[in-house]
Amino acid sequence: MKVTINRWNAVSTWHWDHAQEELCGICRVAFEGTCPTCKYPGDDCPLIIGDCKHAFHMHCLLKWLTTESSKGLCPMCRRKFKTATD
Amino acid sequence: MLKIWSMKQQQQQQQKEAAASGDGSVKKKVTAAQIRVQKDLTELSLPSTMKTHFPNPDDLLHFNVTIEPDEGLYQGGKFSFSFTINNSFPHEPPKVKCTQKIYHPNIDLEGNVCLNILREDWKPVLNLNAVLVGLQYLFLEPNAADPLNKEAASDLQHNRENFRRNVRNSMNGGYVGHEKFERVVKA
Repeated sequence: MKVTINRWNAVSTWHWDHAQEELCGICRVAFEGTCPTCKYPGDDCPLIIGDCKHAFHMHCLLKWLTTESSKGLCPMCRRKFKTATD
Repeated sequence: MLKIWSMKQQQQQQQKEAAASGDGSVKKKVTAAQIRVQKDLTELSLPSTMKTHFPNPDDLLHFNVTIEPDEGLYQGGKFSFSFTINNSFPHEPPKVKCTQKIYHPNIDLEGNVCLNILREDWKPVLNLNAVLVGLQYLFLEPNAADPLNKEAASDLQHNRENFRRNVRNSMNGGYVGHEKFERVVKA
């Protein structure tokens, strides 16, 4: 039997390559969702991962780090937040 | 097929139109703080000793909490707190005040509360449940090391029996020294 494909739809799913947790600890929205200021997930609203391995929506974490009370610490473990290098 | 790019353009177009017409029909934007508070409230798992009250059910950013400790020196009392959450939540902690005048080492006569996670140790990964549990803990284990009411703290530290008596007196609406306190024992 010969089949001719007239039309096909490709479907894919994606997730960030960071398995430890699922939600951003700051806004409590899934990493694959967006921070409260963004509308579209993905590259528009990326994650940031620290040396301490804790991950957040980048926008959520940057907002925290601009507050004086953050003292530059990771909201999860209170170690100095340094972006992981790889 | 879900045409995500054309949807995005469509939405942007609608936004522009709404902004240009300025007819006020633009949906009121739900703030990040409101979204986060909503999540925290649905995840709240409070013991039977604590209850939340929403004077205006549409306003999740202002509410009251009552704590009725079932053990410790403050057992039998009913303590009320007001929570005010501003739009910087969760980057800033909720503002919590005791709405009664009570005798407690970590709560001053104006109702300001000294709890580490409401001040220097706040971090945005903490939720309202953590704050409430922390608040209840103050009634189970008043802390003389970090006082807002210095007289009460000194009583607690040096004469626990006297402190216990003062707590009972104050909760019944009596005097401790020259200060009269509000009656907070359960009806």
